[in-house]
Amino acid sequence: MTKKINLTLKVWRQKGAAHKGALETYSAQQISTDMSFLEMLDLVNEDLTLSGKEPIAFDHDCREGICGMCGAMVNGRAHGPEKGTTLCQLHMRHFSDGDTIMIEPWRAMAFKVVKDLVVDRSAFDKIIAAGGYVSVNTGGAPDANNIPVYAEDAELAMDAAQCIGCGACVASCPNASAMLFTSAKVSQLALLPQGKVEADKRVLSMLRCMDELGFGNCSNERECEAECPKEINITNIARMNRGFLKAALFSRHK
Amino acid sequence: MDWVKGTFGTSIGKKQLMAVTGLGFIGFLTGHLLGNLTIYLGPESFNSYAEHLHALGPLVNMAEVGLLLFATVHISTGLLLFYQNYKARPVKYVGKKWAGGRTIFSATMPYTGVLILVFLIIHLKTFHFVDHDNQTISQIASNVFSSVGYVVFYTLSMVVVAFHVKHGFWSAFQTFGANHVKYMPAIFVLSAICAVVAGIGFGFLPVVSRLVL
Amino acid sequence: MQLDSKAPGGPIETKWDRHRQDLKLVNPANKRKFDIIVVGSGLAGASAAASLAELGYNVKCFCIQDSPRRAHSIAAQGGINAAKNYPNDGDSVFRLFYDTVKGGDFRAREANVYRLAMCSNSIIDQCAAQGVPFAREYGGGLANRSFGGAQVSRTFYARGQTGQQLLLGAYSALMRQVSVGKVEMLPRREMLDLVLVNGKSRGIIVRNLITGEMERHAAHAVVLCTGGYGNAYYLSTNAMACNVTAAWRCHKRGALFANPCFTQIHPTCIPVHGTYQSKLTLMSESLRNDGRVWVPKKADDRRKPDQIPESERDYYLERKYPSFGNLVPRDVASRNAKAMCDEGKGVGSTQLAVYLDFAEAIKRDGEDVIRKKYGNLFAMYEKITAENPYKTPMMIYPAIHYAMGGLWVDYNLMSNLEGLFVLGEANFSDHGANRLGASALMQGLADGYFVIPYTMGGYLGGAGLDSVDTNHPAFAEVENECKERVNKLLSIKGSRTVDDIHRELGLCMWDNCGMARNDAGLTKALNTIPKLRDEFWQNITVPGDQGDFNQSLEKAGRVADFLEFSELLAKDALDRRESCGGHFNEAFQTEENEALRDDENCCYAAAWEFTGVGKEPVLHKEPLTFENVHLTQRSYK
Ligand SMILES: Cc1cc2nc3c(=O)[nH]c(=O)nc-3n(C[C@H](O)[C@H](O)[C@H](O)COP(=O)(O)OP(=O)(O)OC[C@H]3O[C@@H](n4cnc5c(N)ncnc54)[C@H](O)[C@@H]3O)c2cc1C
Ligand code: SF4
Ligand code: FES
Repeated sequence: MTKKINLTLKVWRQKGAAHKGALETYSAQQISTDMSFLEMLDLVNEDLTLSGKEPIAFDHDCREGICGMCGAMVNGRAHGPEKGTTLCQLHMRHFSDGDTIMIEPWRAMAFKVVKDLVVDRSAFDKIIAAGGYVSVNTGGAPDANNIPVYAEDAELAMDAAQCIGCGACVASCPNASAMLFTSAKVSQLALLPQGKVEADKRVLSMLRCMDELGFGNCSNERECEAECPKEINITNIARMNRGFLKAALFSRHK
Repeated sequence: MDWVKGTFGTSIGKKQLMAVTGLGFIGFLTGHLLGNLTIYLGPESFNSYAEHLHALGPLVNMAEVGLLLFATVHISTGLLLFYQNYKARPVKYVGKKWAGGRTIFSATMPYTGVLILVFLIIHLKTFHFVDHDNQTISQIASNVFSSVGYVVFYTLSMVVVAFHVKHGFWSAFQTFGANHVKYMPAIFVLSAICAVVAGIGFGFLPVVSRLVL
Repeated sequence: MQLDSKAPGGPIETKWDRHRQDLKLVNPANKRKFDIIVVGSGLAGASAAASLAELGYNVKCFCIQDSPRRAHSIAAQGGINAAKNYPNDGDSVFRLFYDTVKGGDFRAREANVYRLAMCSNSIIDQCAAQGVPFAREYGGGLANRSFGGAQVSRTFYARGQTGQQLLLGAYSALMRQVSVGKVEMLPRREMLDLVLVNGKSRGIIVRNLITGEMERHAAHAVVLCTGGYGNAYYLSTNAMACNVTAAWRCHKRGALFANPCFTQIHPTCIPVHGTYQSKLTLMSESLRNDGRVWVPKKADDRRKPDQIPESERDYYLERKYPSFGNLVPRDVASRNAKAMCDEGKGVGSTQLAVYLDFAEAIKRDGEDVIRKKYGNLFAMYEKITAENPYKTPMMIYPAIHYAMGGLWVDYNLMSNLEGLFVLGEANFSDHGANRLGASALMQGLADGYFVIPYTMGGYLGGAGLDSVDTNHPAFAEVENECKERVNKLLSIKGSRTVDDIHRELGLCMWDNCGMARNDAGLTKALNTIPKLRDEFWQNITVPGDQGDFNQSLEKAGRVADFLEFSELLAKDALDRRESCGGHFNEAFQTEENEALRDDENCCYAAAWEFTGVGKEPVLHKEPLTFENVHLTQRSYK
């Protein structure tokens, strides 16, 4: 049933990376429970705009849970309290009239705040650039059916490949580690024959890149897995650990 | 030697060092506990176990050096990881809730680790670096455990050890990449068993020794 | 202006090969002397940037999002077509070509479509080699599924996330080139204008969305891959940042805009439920394989669906199209849903929805089978609507989904402005008046991987370009215009928000230039839009300032362009005296209410030339000739 609810928001406002930020309080009135969380913020922003104030900056694009652009801590939880849900797919029916909602940006050394709830996740692109690809140029690929891929492996690879690069794993990890993200790409490619060729080199360079960017170390807390909107599993981290051990000790890559 | 740094200097490398040394300690604890269980058979058995052990001579010394090495690696790497992880989030959340991945065991690893270190120092001081020539091991034990305060300290420390083992054990497997749909549930159970056995096995020693010795 | 498509003559099967043979080449050592700007990092942009860099060109790639991986292509669900004929069901390059031309209601350029069909197989090979986890059969071969508008099974897919996986494949190729220094990736940049030097495209002006700075970038050629303009309608299935700005600014600099009125409306989207709504969500077309569409027979029947007995339900698609039933093409399904709602038979609180009912399928196959097929879609539906589609019928309604129109390009994908190439959804080339499912992904990747690498060489090899850098006065001039515009937007300080005006524009477009159009409505839109544009420039308020991360300002710039562009869309719709594909003018329909083409007079692509805001644009017609397919009237009875 659609209802209207009134909420109090405590939102992190910060002008830029070099500025200090603080929580500010806003009231969100007459919010339809059919709204998405971002539509609720839109509404608050319309009010702020009309009263001559700067609206709350937040990243978003597809609003379908696939682009990975949105994300914030809602009441201390990455993407809010619903399991397997991005912020744009979180709906206001999960809140009650009179609730106070605290909204903070992702926090990690490697994710600097750009403004308000917007953070810089370019570190993820750097990790992919370090080896998250198969080195194949356009043209000259063999017929796709020349290399059979066991269906189960393709499924597992797909499980990992679903990562949307949102950063919730880093945000929710007590150590701000990017292991789930990195391992998802390492796993996807390690599971497929096309990616196996470079598996050793890939895991070493992606991991070293991740470390250099200032992410923390995984200590198997499993918060990432619990908060990942695509429910990516820590068996991917295990696969990466295994791949690393093999590459570091037994391959010829330094 | 770049590859050594590029291996053991990485986040996974460090974790794997923690895992190797941690599992080493679990192995040691198992042996230690088995030996100590001789207490239940009375002072003679306990003393003769200790004598047999010391009769191994250089082997024991080697084991001690090994343990020291493991401890150094485990502790220094652990502290480094703790520091790095702390630094990885310079601005903390105003409000953070856990989503159900984290357990009290995993959340307290660095702290239980430090407590274990404190216990270890005291434990070595009271049992290892004492006069072994004029008193038997059961005499040392019964002396030490005569203090109620110490018994409480010892027993609580063993609870701390159990906490540490609970997360450390399965975590080591995960860190080596041994996470398999078929075996991981068993490893979790084993983890709990190890923790409980270590906790109860060692935890009751002071009480037992007060009764037996 | 004479429009030369540059499509070679001769047999269609060998056109592309012969054309490639004739194109000039740039020798490998010289490629590194050329700089290329690629705007956009979707399937078209990422594949183009990566492929050009692999050849040795220096590439700069721009996108609005914080990472190239987030381009709107990521949202495509269903799949990508290719003429592999793996299922052995009679597919061929020619059949894919034929289906695409026919699906487009014979308003596309034959030569381009044939080339697209030819490239389709290489795309699958390329993507598989990149590690795209396509669905597989147990034997390890690739799996296929069927899609609308075809009688063969030729759609390759990766669960319901094909666009995501293809884009991540192209993105990984792009990032590989970034790591070797051949591509400089510039995210969070919005192209605000094109810089022409001596009539040739030599650079762009972008706004750095974090610092607000205007940046000048010079190059030997500009490749526009900026996607479609569906957001002119405010509510669409497009991502929020999809815009017409880059294409429109190029249009204002002289690039022709072709067929803007060819917009696609997807029949199965989650209906609008409130004015606050910011976008619409697509429910895959595949649902119509098992779902039955119906409305109550009586108008204004407010009973719950389960209280309406079978005898009082109208399964109108099955009734009107007995042979295709619920599987009629997108445009037909959409128009019929609208007709039902116009008669007052719509359901739900807004009465702008029809039921898509799975009860019979569940009874027939069991809930488990249905869950296996559509589980993720049902879950998404439930997340958004809080209704359980296993228990109660889904409510769906059509929504704007795709833009077939776009900047006019020749066979080389170059616009009429020299050195400006346009790829992907941003151009008008391959889909005619209606796009078949699973063919936009195919087109974006064909353009980027397999067309531009050749035609770019052909252009650069023969263009004799002198060196131009950002100190050229043309850059300063265009940059100033961009700055002035931004300052103007910030200085209005009126009393309406940008969203508010955008919403009004969207409503006007949807009501008058939507699924079914008529001259009165289009004329009304042509009256309303300029007024709304004036209102915008006099009465909006944009908070914040220029030298800052300012999302309101970004939005304002995009809406300003939609307000100019929409007028052209309506004009094009009014000007085309026929119905075809996605463009349905009620005055031109068969007795069976199908789109009635006028092949005699309207077999052309309408390419519009800009003459000034609010001024009459000039129409140039590119005649379309069909030598390999026979023009027929579509019928789905
Ligand atoms: C919900 C949905 C489902 C779909 N499903 C399918 C399907 O199953 N099969 C199929 O074939 N097609 C499908 N489509 C259509 C298809 O996804 C798109 O047509 C296609 O992905 C467009 O790709 P593109 O590269 O041309 O543009 P986009 O992917 O839209 O990329 C545009 C790029 O340009 C950048 N950009 C835009 N403007 C500017 C500017 N001013 N300055 C700088 N950068 C700019 C953006 O940042 C982005 O990187 C679907 C579309 C939608 C909306
Ligand atoms: S692993 Fe999950 S949480 Fe992390 S970036 Fe990918 S989708 Fe987001
Ligand atoms: S906005 Fe794209 S995932 Fe939320």
